[in-house]
Amino acid sequence: MSGIELANVSKSFDTTEVIRGVSLTVDKGELGVFVGPSGCGKSTLLRMIAGLEETTSGRISIGDRDVTRIEPAEREVAMVFQSYALYPHLSVFDNMAFSLRLARASKAQTRDMVQEAARILQLEEHLDKKPAQLSGGQRQRVAIGRAIVRQPKVFLFDEPLSNLDAELRVQMRLELARLHRRIGATMIYVTHDQVEAMTLADRIFVLRNGMVQQQGAPLELYNDPDNRFIGGFIGSPAMNFLDGHVTAQNDAGIEVAVDGADGQRLHARLASKRVTGDRVTLGLRPEHLHPNADGLRVRMEMVEALGGVSYLHTRTPDGTELVVEYRGAQPPADSTGIAVGIDPANVVVFDSQGRRLR
Amino acid sequence: MTRTRKIENACLTAITMAAAVLWIFPLYWALVTSLRSEDHVVSRNAGLLPDQFNLSAYIDAIFNTQLVTWYINSIVTALIITLLVIVSGMMCAYALSQMRFPGRRLLYVVVLASFMVPSQALVVTQFILMDQLDLIDSWAGIILPQLIVPVVIIVYKQFFDAVPGEMREAVVLDGGGDYTLLFRVYLPLNRGITTALAIITFIMAWNQFFWPFLVVNSEAMMTIPVGITQVNDAFGVRYARLMAVALLAAMPVALAYLIFQRRVTEAVMISSGVKG
Repeated sequence: MSGIELANVSKSFDTTEVIRGVSLTVDKGELGVFVGPSGCGKSTLLRMIAGLEETTSGRISIGDRDVTRIEPAEREVAMVFQSYALYPHLSVFDNMAFSLRLARASKAQTRDMVQEAARILQLEEHLDKKPAQLSGGQRQRVAIGRAIVRQPKVFLFDEPLSNLDAELRVQMRLELARLHRRIGATMIYVTHDQVEAMTLADRIFVLRNGMVQQQGAPLELYNDPDNRFIGGFIGSPAMNFLDGHVTAQNDAGIEVAVDGADGQRLHARLASKRVTGDRVTLGLRPEHLHPNADGLRVRMEMVEALGGVSYLHTRTPDGTELVVEYRGAQPPADSTGIAVGIDPANVVVFDSQGRRLR
Repeated sequence: MTRTRKIENACLTAITMAAAVLWIFPLYWALVTSLRSEDHVVSRNAGLLPDQFNLSAYIDAIFNTQLVTWYINSIVTALIITLLVIVSGMMCAYALSQMRFPGRRLLYVVVLASFMVPSQALVVTQFILMDQLDLIDSWAGIILPQLIVPVVIIVYKQFFDAVPGEMREAVVLDGGGDYTLLFRVYLPLNRGITTALAIITFIMAWNQFFWPFLVVNSEAMMTIPVGITQVNDAFGVRYARLMAVALLAAMPVALAYLIFQRRVTEAVMISSGVKG
């Protein structure tokens, strides 16, 4: 297995630059996840690593080898596609053996490798079936098996669970995590689903407009976002944002008057100096907000009761939505007005451009 | 079912039956005639119903004409034409659909344009070309001009365009090139289309009369449809033998149609654009 390094990699289609100077490293044996909204360039970046898209500038290395201008088949990568891209006319065995036969592996070696992959993926009893006879989850496993038999240096997954239903997606997600732990391969996984990213990744790379906005361990990104976009993108339900202006500052932090909230104030820890009147945005995670008689008064709009936890959808006096996580069997009724508070240590502060203030 | 609807159905059935009788009667008459002796064919006693089972016309046709040679010529030329048309059409369509090169669109427009030129308009130039290449009265002379079948390219291109791009990428990552993709993935995937196109090309090549008639001079190089025109002698037309030759000539195509009926229908629909 080898790690992957991208150094200042860019990609343009005619005059449109879709990947802008991306530099990142996925260590050997690590599972890196590219996540971001549609059109952010995550799949393009993955295809560039696979060699399916030409790299306009920069360098892509797998292990110690510069593969930027090397043909896809010679990069020693295997890819699992969103549509699985199985060969419909071939059996499961022949699908998995396809690359080995092209590489002129011996019959015995081919049989052994396919059977080993089938054993890992619990596909042994399906080896004679055609892809059309399999369920979505089984097809996905065949696609992964096809990648495993090649013994690549790097596995690439392009939104592999998107075509599965919700229940199967959760199941396959766990299977993928187990598989990664078992074979310890370097993997890059592309998804637009941040839950998938959080649960699978050793390291997440959040992309937007062809640039990596932030990279790090899942909880690092969750707890310490570099900007407002990351704060809003990572986490479900998403982080709440309240705009306001600084009214006072001391050693402990700042006091912020929230816009349209009848002069109500919230406090946040902040080391950097601000001056009175500075515009800021406060980021509040739903689980950090809790009912507090002295807190921000909001009106309830709807309650999502999920059992052990409920989400209270509320609005501030000026109509900004605020989602509050409520732990307890009996959430407040829909029509109740409540007041919510938050520990200043849990408030994340962004400047008016959305950059993180620390 | 209403009364009007019943009458409508009865009328339609009657019309269809009448059309079927009209269509099948020449075949029936050819069969009945071919099984009669030459004398009986032209006698006053020969009625509409079959009254003899005489194979002499067939024996005569096989042993006293060059029927077997014409058969061989037809089989060889039709098979070669079918094979070359399918392989070259598929490869051309693959290039137009899957490969990126300058002039690709223009090339496709040329293919489409050639579809619009009737073959009769090219006969003179093709004849001169074959003459200059010294291919008159040869198999190559019969075969070469019949290799231009743009509809095969168009049908294959439509199919290749519809295959998801990820299939191609999977092959590329598995270490395969264009030939792997075409012959090990696309060809097995479109076996139905290939069979249908091959059958229709074979039937067209087998039935081709005009071009072989022009390009062939000697009886030894004739194909079956051209050879039939030679089945007469100095004493006039021998109807039983003529019908026997005609039936033997049509037999392979008729058999092919009977065996591959569904595929032939599919091929006609595909090549006429009814079905993609």
